Amino acid sequence: MKPVLGIAGYVLREAMSRKFILAFMVGITLVLTVVALSLRIEVVDGALAASRLFGEELRNSIRSVDVALRPVYQAAAFLVFYGGILFGIVACSDFAPSLMSPGRIEHLLALPIQRWHLLAGTFLGVMVLALGGTLYGTTGLVLIFGVKAGYWTAGPLIAGLLACVGFAAVYAVMLTAATLVRSAALCAASGFVFLVGGIIAGYRQQLTPFFEEGLGREAFRAVTLVLPRLSALAMAAGDIAASTPLEVHSLGMLLLGVLVFGFGALAVGFWRFEGKDY
Amino acid sequence: MTSQAPAIEVRGLRKTYHRAFRKGGTEALRGMDLTVPEGSAFGLIGPNGAGKTTFIKSILGIVQPTEGAIRVLGGSPEDPRIRARIGYLPERLHLPGTWTAPAFLATVTRLKGLPVDPAVNLRLLERVGLSDAVGRRIGGYSKGMRQRLGLAAALVGTPSLLVLDEPTDGIDPMGRMEVRRILQEEVRRGTTLFLNSHLLAETERVCDRVAILAGGRVVREGRLEDLARGGVRWLVRFAPGANTEALAAAGFLRGAAEGQYAVEAEDPAALNGALDRARAAGALMVELRRDGTDLESVLMGTVEAAA
Repeated sequence: MKPVLGIAGYVLREAMSRKFILAFMVGITLVLTVVALSLRIEVVDGALAASRLFGEELRNSIRSVDVALRPVYQAAAFLVFYGGILFGIVACSDFAPSLMSPGRIEHLLALPIQRWHLLAGTFLGVMVLALGGTLYGTTGLVLIFGVKAGYWTAGPLIAGLLACVGFAAVYAVMLTAATLVRSAALCAASGFVFLVGGIIAGYRQQLTPFFEEGLGREAFRAVTLVLPRLSALAMAAGDIAASTPLEVHSLGMLLLGVLVFGFGALAVGFWRFEGKDY
Repeated sequence: MTSQAPAIEVRGLRKTYHRAFRKGGTEALRGMDLTVPEGSAFGLIGPNGAGKTTFIKSILGIVQPTEGAIRVLGGSPEDPRIRARIGYLPERLHLPGTWTAPAFLATVTRLKGLPVDPAVNLRLLERVGLSDAVGRRIGGYSKGMRQRLGLAAALVGTPSLLVLDEPTDGIDPMGRMEVRRILQEEVRRGTTLFLNSHLLAETERVCDRVAILAGGRVVREGRLEDLARGGVRWLVRFAPGANTEALAAAGFLRGAAEGQYAVEAEDPAALNGALDRARAAGALMVELRRDGTDLESVLMGTVEAAA
């Protein structure tokens, strides 16, 4: 396990030195600071009496705080899910190709570590980064609204964790792509394709009738069957963040499907990496 | 004298690179046999495309051979315990530009499974001449400084086998001398040195054994002095005023340069006999050396013969 942690540390150190990621962290901090300083919420007996944003009064009927904050948390959950995954695809697309670049991969492979340590460490490092960024943003949001409105919920944090699970599946594909072709652009493209595929897979029941019966429809069904249902996971994240009943039938099965897909993609990457010459 | 297990032993090593959607493949190594004795300073030389880098990558487990057996330090290069005893400097080491040298060495130390001791790593950086640059980011280093840092990384954990691919590439002449001194110190310590350098003078100065690789095979291998040894011909330079006829009568043939002569002698007695005759004729000897062949000539001759 030590070499995996060592490689994860290597990836995290690389990440911390990238201005792109530092700018993202600064951006999250700024957004949270602006929200914290500009939003004023008045709560009377657990109901949202008045709220002001940048001094302007937001006209809303008097509602209980948890109901009033539902759309905010739901929007934040979608933003974290889709925005976070998109940012992750762009920001993390270069890590694996960079580790596999000539002159670096030879040096790493000559060290007393197994090949799978290298991939597992890269995956772990990226996941720690994603988890850190997500928890930083969502915890900040929960703290701000908790302090201002007195309403505390772990929903946004759980929604953030679900976003990380979704990103794990997407990054597994990206990492596997990097073992096939050492290109940051292709790595990002594969992640983006699987994100879009995952969104479509979540609406496969609704989209199937748009395909003519026969080969086309069966092909659509077959392709979307193996893809992780990312849009369904995003919906579940939104529901959890807003503390509303889940629309998906079984969150457990949904998560299991996403995890199985992620592990499957990683297994292909590990197999390819084990037999590759550098 | 006890017999030692070789540091590197390779038998029938073949490597064919296959490309997708292409028939056949490129044969980089074609049945290579090589034994590198433990504690030796071994140089691998050969023309471009001879298979030197593929061979180095094979003995480190970076490239998987198509056929053949490889044993390094008595075990398989796939074994992390064996690789823990190897220090490697790749030809074009890619270093993380935003890191500092101590941070990089600490990471290498950790990945080698060793406890990180900043003082030890600092001494290592001092040893390779980077003590003034420890606080600077690697991105600001010159090519030579990067090579020195790569060498320091290879030396982490005092390895039993050092595999260096072009270690002095980009290093200035003074730096090369320092690197050579470090490598000689390591060999004296008992480390086996395996060096791949296109600088033949470097190989000549550091290594005691050399293998010439051409077309994926070892075409010549042996002790450097045996490979570079000339025949029975010696070059002698006499002080100005030597009697040419008398020297010719003593067996000395006049060379192209002023005062330079050549003499053939099978053994030290014959050589000294010829020199005594020259001195008796009034010639004063100022220089004597064997008319040996340099490594470049050995390489050229061997590769041409193998072609």
